[in-house]
Amino acid sequence: MTAFRRLEKGGRIDRGKPVTFTFDGKPLSGFAGDTLASALLANGKTLTSRSFKYHRPRGIVSAGVEEPNGLFTIGKNEPNIPATTVDLTDGLAVQSQNAWPSPDFDLMAVNSLLSPLFQSGFYYKTFMGPFKKSWMFYEPFIRRAAGLGKGSYEKDSDRYDTAHEFCDVLVVGSGPAGLAAALTAGRSGARVVLVEQDSEFGGQLLSERTADLEAWRKVQLAELASLSNVKIRARTTAQGLYDDNFVVLLQRHEESDAAKGKPRQTLISLRAKSIIFATGALERPLVFSNNDRPGVMLASAVRTYLNRFAVAPLKRAVIVTNNDTAYLTAFDLAEAGIAVTMADHRKVIPSDLLSKAAMLGMAMFPGTGVADVEGAKQVSRVQLAGAHSASIECDVLAMSGGWSPAVHLTSHGGIKPIYDEKLAAFVPGGFAAAHFGAGAVMGRFGTQAAIKDGNDMGARAVADFGKTTKPVAPPEGKDRAYHILPVWLPAVAGKGKAFVDVQSDVTVKDIRTAHQEGYVSVEHLKRYTTLGMGTDQGKTSNINAIAIMAGLREVPIMQAGTTTFRPPYTGLAVGAIAGRTIGHHFRPYRLSPLHDANKASGATFIEAGLWMRAWYYAWAGNSPETAYIREMELVRKGVGLADVSTLGKIDVQGPDAAEFLNRVYVNGFAKLPVGKARYGVMLNDDGVVLDDGTTTRISDTQFYLTTTTAQAGEVMSWLEYLLQVHWTDLKVHVTSLTDEWAGMAVSGPKSREALQLAFPAADVSTGNLPYMGCLEVNFDGVPIRLLRLSFSGELAYEVHCPADHAHALWEHFLNVAAPLGIKPYGLEALASLRIEKGHVAGLELDHRNTLDDLGLGKMAGKEKAYIGKELRLRENLQAPERWSLVGIELMEEGKKLRGGSILFSASDEIKGHGRGYITSVTWSTELNKFIALGLYQGGLKHEGEDIICAFPLKNEQMKARIVSPHFIDREGARLNA
Amino acid sequence: MLDRRSALASAKPYVSSVLQIGEARGFSLLQVAGPAKAISPITGKLPTKVGTALQAQGRTLMRTGETQFWIIGSENDAIATKLDGVAILTPLSHSRTRIFIEGAPARDVLSKGLPLDFHPTVFKPGMFAMTGLHHTPVLVHCVNENRFEIYALRTFALSVYDWLTDAALEFAE
Repeated sequence: MTAFRRLEKGGRIDRGKPVTFTFDGKPLSGFAGDTLASALLANGKTLTSRSFKYHRPRGIVSAGVEEPNGLFTIGKNEPNIPATTVDLTDGLAVQSQNAWPSPDFDLMAVNSLLSPLFQSGFYYKTFMGPFKKSWMFYEPFIRRAAGLGKGSYEKDSDRYDTAHEFCDVLVVGSGPAGLAAALTAGRSGARVVLVEQDSEFGGQLLSERTADLEAWRKVQLAELASLSNVKIRARTTAQGLYDDNFVVLLQRHEESDAAKGKPRQTLISLRAKSIIFATGALERPLVFSNNDRPGVMLASAVRTYLNRFAVAPLKRAVIVTNNDTAYLTAFDLAEAGIAVTMADHRKVIPSDLLSKAAMLGMAMFPGTGVADVEGAKQVSRVQLAGAHSASIECDVLAMSGGWSPAVHLTSHGGIKPIYDEKLAAFVPGGFAAAHFGAGAVMGRFGTQAAIKDGNDMGARAVADFGKTTKPVAPPEGKDRAYHILPVWLPAVAGKGKAFVDVQSDVTVKDIRTAHQEGYVSVEHLKRYTTLGMGTDQGKTSNINAIAIMAGLREVPIMQAGTTTFRPPYTGLAVGAIAGRTIGHHFRPYRLSPLHDANKASGATFIEAGLWMRAWYYAWAGNSPETAYIREMELVRKGVGLADVSTLGKIDVQGPDAAEFLNRVYVNGFAKLPVGKARYGVMLNDDGVVLDDGTTTRISDTQFYLTTTTAQAGEVMSWLEYLLQVHWTDLKVHVTSLTDEWAGMAVSGPKSREALQLAFPAADVSTGNLPYMGCLEVNFDGVPIRLLRLSFSGELAYEVHCPADHAHALWEHFLNVAAPLGIKPYGLEALASLRIEKGHVAGLELDHRNTLDDLGLGKMAGKEKAYIGKELRLRENLQAPERWSLVGIELMEEGKKLRGGSILFSASDEIKGHGRGYITSVTWSTELNKFIALGLYQGGLKHEGEDIICAFPLKNEQMKARIVSPHFIDREGARLNA
Repeated sequence: MLDRRSALASAKPYVSSVLQIGEARGFSLLQVAGPAKAISPITGKLPTKVGTALQAQGRTLMRTGETQFWIIGSENDAIATKLDGVAILTPLSHSRTRIFIEGAPARDVLSKGLPLDFHPTVFKPGMFAMTGLHHTPVLVHCVNENRFEIYALRTFALSVYDWLTDAALEFAE
């Protein structure tokens, strides 16, 4: 079935560059400069798809982004792309959608026969019963039958980038108004960005035939290209407007190659000082019986295919209109030798149009509309009715219901459009400061008016920042006034369905049903019927639907109002939104200065927040379950080396540093001697524990504060906040040293020997470096800080050094202390050793526990003030039955304790949230059993009692006992050794 | 014996004829907090505006806050000893990895990840911005029209370098 043909000459296509592409696997050809839509039409493909709900045959309707029907899957995994927006390129592979086996013969077309059932609300009404959850049962089947293209689970092989841009003036749209605006603004020297969603600049000018308009377009473009302060971007859509002149642009690149880093699309975040909207207008369809047949197209689109792509109807065209603009199409078709029949809803037609029509031999039917369309898969005949009745054979039915300004972007900021009775269209309801509208978007449809508007708005935009400019000279010519007779409903009722939204298969009848059932607001109408909810977002359909609903309600169209316009203006790939935030670029990764050293030492790494941490080492085994036990034994019996560089480290300096820390920590720091470290706990201002760590006094005015790995950032922000907001009188500076200093723990009974081997010149005896002491040594010209601290409960030290030296220092330790059997131990062992010792860590410091919950209440200074002091004494935070820290021993052999287990007393029914839960669990190498830390109602009051640890996920229940959380060395003999 | 090891020691080199990306090693960074009038007699004239840098006595002096400065000197710069007692000093030489990007496309590559106006008339030599790149805090210094130095946190440096060289893939050989 062929209704279109390629003309021998004419158009903007490059006939010297033939292009081959495939449609449903079959090779077809076109030319460079074609869109997929124009190439399909030139190949006679008028039936291109099946409709959403009824599987009715559909063809291409428009020549732009408003396309409701001609949607295809491009390549393997990009569905629902309008053929009108795809540049034809060699090797393009295109699949039809929603039709099986083909659009021409579609088995699901049986839906069309059942269509009386499928009116709006059908699904909701039919599938609600018979049971409460029936909808959940039916939904997957319904979803499978409906829909457009299908997404893919395959990885997107294309690359998408992001970019940030800034400019003085953004001009959206490059029709006559946009070109004039950009050039006027550009001539002032302002930084101008002109974006055009099409592959070529010019907008409506690209569909004109007159040479002087083309010459004018070229002159403006040449001048724009010559201005270094102007950037012009084709294939770039302004997708959304946000606060503060922030606009999101989507740029589609002509060429892409992921392997070479060349993106297919770039999402640009542009911040403009001012914005000129020259977004043009969209032609709208008329509503009549069978108006969805392939070959029923927008009149302006037929003109674009004819003039821009040299694709013409075979022989005969019928045009139906309610305004003057369709005559441009009619005259161009007639001049191209097509037999044209014109039906005009208006009884009175301007005489110049009538005389030109007569001169071109067109058949004219004033006061006449379309009653019905015939042809099963392609329009073959049109029944006209009204003042005249006639049955006309044709290849194409071109329609024009008037023009709707493309107000979408102007409305994203929340300014609703208003209805203009004279234009029978919505126009922008106003503009924010530094926003301007020019040309057709303002309802000024003529070329001359558009250029004048562009000149004026370009000048006004740059005047805002004190620049002057000169306007662009328009080409010769005069605009015609725009006359329209609004026609919303079929003039004569036909037998077939009259579609309002062809993409969502919504008919006039559906709107009537919605009205009858009380869904009269346009927002309800939209959701009840799915009108305007497709990929085209109702660009061609909304106005007709609003007007029809206004008619049914007997209210003015303005009162019916529009639905809310939201970004994006056109569909865009999810990949473009993600950009390069995929794979390992999804978030940054953070490496310890000892990362490479850990790797060389055989570490297996684990993600901990953003950090990659050494989990366990190959010397100890191949699985974390067994390796950490060997590493624990190493520390308990010999000496181990662990990377603790991830600890937060903060430099606190200034005359008031001691006073500051004394207020921040619950325990006293004012009198901490120089060279001594102290364990400290800080609370949030709500009295709940924020973090713990050790802080060392380096001098009278300087402290070296450490935090847990997890809270490092939060504590740093908290300290800065306190100094900048609450205690501006304190002379204190805080600076993060987490990246400046690396740290390694040397732990175990032989750690002092290891330290002595590493730093032979230093006196590391207990007398010189006691528990909680600090010694600064200089080794090989490098300042090194030795802190005698213990997380494991053994004799242990932390060795801190400037980060770049850490790798060498790690190797030094492993070399010189090799005779002692030193080996590295990882995060799993580090976290397990502390459980045996009963040290709380991130799992217990979860921003819900108080000092008393963690058994640290006695640390708090009674006399001094500190953050959280008053609120920690709230009644509920002091309640004796609060969940507080306990140790737990497993009482059953052959079983294991699991983190997160819910705790019950032995006599409880195992149900609900229990009396607490396990926070941390490990195998104890000392006790030869599983032990855990947990929070239990009433805490250590229950010491010695039997409990049940329930783990419902695995349906496990283990018998255990509440014990002291200090499983080993309660007297501290080891760490004081 | 305790040789310094860069955070980018294991980084894959970036090779391009139009754009260079790599590490600019061999510097010292001293953070100095205190009033400019006390510091400038020792360092030379300090920038008056936050976000700008001056060269003096072979060093780059950056004003990072109203009363806070970064002094970038040679690797073994001894300026700290002269400033001791004059201001609060925090040595940060190991905390930052300095990544440079140089070449005509540098501004475009940086624009992929930084929400800053990189137009040559706006972000000029001598200016720097304390901002975020790949979710991490960085200081980006415009050294000359086509050269920028990024002071990235050492522990994030490889991730930032990895991101940057990926962003610049289209210019790589």
